[in-house]
Amino acid sequence: MGVLSSNLKPSFLGLLKFLNNMNWFIVFFSLINISVCIYEDQIGKFDWRQTYVGRIKFAQFDTVSTAKKIIVATEENVLAALNLKTGQVVWRHVFETASTGNIQLLHVGEKVTTVTGSNPYLVRGWDSNTGVLIWEWSLTVQNDLTEYSQWWVQNNMLVHVLPVFGSHIEVTMYNLLTGSNRGASSMLPAIWTNERCILTAPHYTCISGPLESQLLLSIDVTSNAVKIISKPLTDYVDIQQTVSVNLRPLGGNSIIPGFVLGNDKIVFIRDNNFEKSKVQLGDKSASATVVDGANGHILVQTWMDDVTGFTLTADSVSTGKEVTDIYCSDKTLNIPKPELLAVMCTRTSREQNACRLLINAADDAVHLMQQGGRALWAREEALSRARAVEFVELPVSDTDAALESEFDQKEGSVWSAFARRLLTQYQQLQNLIRSLQGESAVQKTPSSLVRDYFNLHRIIVIVTDAGKIFGIDNLSGEILWRRYEAGLSAQSASVFTRRSARTPPHHAHLSVVATQRDTGNGFILSLNPITGELIDEGKLILNVRLLQCMMLHVPDSEKLHALVLLDEKENVLVLPSSAAPLVEDVYMYVAEKDTAKVQGYSLRFDGKGVRAQRTWAARLGGAGAARVAATATRSRLEHVRAPGRALADRSVLYKYSNPNLVLFVVERLDPLYKEEVVAVALDVVSGALAGAAAHRRARALPLAAHADNCFVYLYRSEKHRRLELATMELYEGKERWLEPGVPFSSLESNQVPIVEHQAFILPATPTAAAFTITERSLTDRHVLLGLSSGAVVELPWAYLEARRDESLPVAAPELPLPADATLNYNRTLQRVSALHAAPAGLESTSLVLVTGLDLFYTRVAPSKTFDLLKDDFDYYLITIVLSALIVATYSTKYFASRKMLKQAWK
Amino acid sequence: MLRFEHSIAIFVCIIANVFCALNSVEEDVGTGKYVIEGRVFPADDQDLSTWQVDTRIHVNGGEYIGFIKDDGSFTIYNVPTGSYVVEIVNPDYMYEPIRVEINSKGKYRARKVNYIQTSQVIQVPYPLRMKAITKFRYFQMREQWRLTDFLFNPMVIMMVLPLLLIMILPKMMNDPETKEDLKQISNMAKMSELPEMSEMFTSLFSGGAATKANVKAKQIKKRQ
Repeated sequence: MGVLSSNLKPSFLGLLKFLNNMNWFIVFFSLINISVCIYEDQIGKFDWRQTYVGRIKFAQFDTVSTAKKIIVATEENVLAALNLKTGQVVWRHVFETASTGNIQLLHVGEKVTTVTGSNPYLVRGWDSNTGVLIWEWSLTVQNDLTEYSQWWVQNNMLVHVLPVFGSHIEVTMYNLLTGSNRGASSMLPAIWTNERCILTAPHYTCISGPLESQLLLSIDVTSNAVKIISKPLTDYVDIQQTVSVNLRPLGGNSIIPGFVLGNDKIVFIRDNNFEKSKVQLGDKSASATVVDGANGHILVQTWMDDVTGFTLTADSVSTGKEVTDIYCSDKTLNIPKPELLAVMCTRTSREQNACRLLINAADDAVHLMQQGGRALWAREEALSRARAVEFVELPVSDTDAALESEFDQKEGSVWSAFARRLLTQYQQLQNLIRSLQGESAVQKTPSSLVRDYFNLHRIIVIVTDAGKIFGIDNLSGEILWRRYEAGLSAQSASVFTRRSARTPPHHAHLSVVATQRDTGNGFILSLNPITGELIDEGKLILNVRLLQCMMLHVPDSEKLHALVLLDEKENVLVLPSSAAPLVEDVYMYVAEKDTAKVQGYSLRFDGKGVRAQRTWAARLGGAGAARVAATATRSRLEHVRAPGRALADRSVLYKYSNPNLVLFVVERLDPLYKEEVVAVALDVVSGALAGAAAHRRARALPLAAHADNCFVYLYRSEKHRRLELATMELYEGKERWLEPGVPFSSLESNQVPIVEHQAFILPATPTAAAFTITERSLTDRHVLLGLSSGAVVELPWAYLEARRDESLPVAAPELPLPADATLNYNRTLQRVSALHAAPAGLESTSLVLVTGLDLFYTRVAPSKTFDLLKDDFDYYLITIVLSALIVATYSTKYFASRKMLKQAWK
Repeated sequence: MLRFEHSIAIFVCIIANVFCALNSVEEDVGTGKYVIEGRVFPADDQDLSTWQVDTRIHVNGGEYIGFIKDDGSFTIYNVPTGSYVVEIVNPDYMYEPIRVEINSKGKYRARKVNYIQTSQVIQVPYPLRMKAITKFRYFQMREQWRLTDFLFNPMVIMMVLPLLLIMILPKMMNDPETKEDLKQISNMAKMSELPEMSEMFTSLFSGGAATKANVKAKQIKKRQ
């Protein structure tokens, strides 16, 4: 079918075009709609949303309510309930991003209890079934050093333990529901407390004392009488190991208080005494917990090593015998650094254990397993912290590739070309016959990842903070491949498509430029974005930090664009090094965020290597202290084809379309006006100033966007206590500076563009901003804003245009944000952090991915899909009408001739 | 090997400092932290099973986040003095934001948000009472096929009217009475009209040819 449709497509499209030309006909049957938004029956047709919660910090099974759930609290300050069967989010509450939203405690009893914030704390109780808030009270601790605070819940009392190192432990109990204090906060003398302490509720355990005679001390902080257990450390670990003994509590809500000592010793606290476990840790990195099993308490452990792969073991605590029905060892499972978050075991009828284990991994994925290691579901929580995104084109299908390769062959005689032509024709014929015979199923699997006619099908490559890279199908949202790089830190990662899949003999090539987690040095990963496999240089870890990176604009003989990297010693690295001679007239800039200093470099190949030379420097904040809040560069994907815009009086206003402009939004302190926001548009090749604006008594938001000659940035006006969105446009004027077709040169132009400014009030709080990008930039441009309310709205540029004339809608001081401009309708997107737009093959359409806590993909058509029939276009109606018309024409012709004949006989 | 247990259990009972209970809902003026209180009322047609979970309170665009209880009441804790915009965020219903100002003495003032005239004060009661204004209209309505829409479509009118003229006028011509009327009207028109310059010249040069042509035209019309 795929082949058939691709063969028939041109003729079918021809028909479509013909139909489209019969414009009046289409207009006749369908009225033009004015608004931009979608119809209700199009929900989920062009878009998808994936909800995430972030890396899980605490988790507990909710066994009380009828619908089985897992309650999780995450490092992204999210409290959520996950469906035990599917892993879907049942309900979710997102707290503040700042430390006020930090979750300190999760306790699941009859109700869910959370403690959030850091002095003052907020204690909240939630209904585990519905997620509704039941009680809430605030708690301020009268002590400044609350950093080592520990919390837990015991008998409906909230216990707060605050150690004061070297002196005492302060224990306070509160009524969980009301917050009323039991009457006292007791101070337990404990001069032995230090940083090497852990809480194994209700015991507070430390290793203390001089090196030779270290003691293991533990105190039950809830009992009225102070009971300290003290044992020499050498009772439990070898003397040579005592120098830096590791002490960590058992994970996963262990039902017996206990801890891991050293590499492999497990010690429980029972009846006010330490009790050595009969079972030792299987690996020093293993995560262990004690749960209630079919036959008494069992100690469950999990770890991953190179020999056995992922390992899960369980032993009876009382006898030390292994519980075989839980054991699992699987080399194919890839769960780096597994950590038991929560374990629940129930007894089946045959005295067997039926367990559910929630396991967290270093790559932020969370897996729910049952005994024996069978995975029930997994959630890729790394996607809640996406850092860099790239839309990658898919390769053309095999037949198209064969056709293309025909034109690539440069050598060979006429006859060989003719033979090749015959061969490809034969292949096409074969494919056609095969598809007619219905052998499409065989072809389907590889062909599903081929470029479609309008180039709407892509792979979205997402680099996440955890160091995990994903390839996602943009139409379905399905994860096609994933790759975890433990050492990769994506804090400031950039992704470059160095070779698209358009050049058939060569595979696509994508490079991630990031930093190494521990050292901060350059980390470059080259992979095939279609399959996720490493290619060419593969993983390359530099031994120097990087300042700036860019992709060379000219491809080498293998159609690969080289990477040009500038390191902190101002040396230049070109990857691959064979492309170094291509570095010519290349310029770079480096902006320091905290000082607002910008340095320009010129890069040149001098016969041996590429050298960077400082060319210009600028202090954007002037003499005083300043900081860059945001920068905006033109997207690599944008190609501007329109040199100007037609005005109402039919004259043309030419745009100052300089591709080297960068907008810097600088925040600085002005001695007279307090804080001030300065927006500077710099030509980063020459260092020339193209435009600037200053806003007094304002604070910049880290949001800015730039496309063609348009700039957008946001700031908070302290004077009016409101958010303002400022726009800036650059124009050449009514005369064109350069002849048509002459490429723009930053170094040769000495004219100053006309700068237009405008500012608008924004009645919402944006968290992300971007422009839509289309193939040729002929379509209208929209500004996309991600708002804190969870909506992503599109604002037509016509409302924001800095240059006002009669043809534009009247400028309202307060921007309207109508509900139908919301891209994600009522699918709230929490904590939108970035918006990524990419052009589709259709000029009218732009593909948009929203990242943040959630992922949302959609496509927008700023000027509507003028180049595509509406999706509800009635093919049947038009066919019926056309055929009816043809029939009517011929029948009337027949009748008319008969009438004429009759009249002639009269 | 035998070992003597030298664990020492110390039994000490200490009743340490007794802190007074911190009742949170009352404002703690000493630390300069206040609470913002209010109540959200759902719309009549709202799905009452999930609205408490779907509704959030954002203060200053998410700087402080509050959640509502079963009855719709909410409290934002630990807010220092200042001016705050309180928004009710619900995916399906729109609520009007309200600005709450807390001065250094702990006095509250709630007023309507006006970003354009920032000094204008229209006070609203505090504790806040937030009511849903409207339901968000995210979607476009599909047009439904209606006969009136079709008939009053300018295209249709443009097509139908000439059709009527073509079909009905010749029919009217056949009626002898109307023919008489038409003739009279045209005669009247001719009588009243002043002879036109061009006509005068044509009649002068071509003689009777013009009248002949007229007759011919009429004949053609008749055949139709």
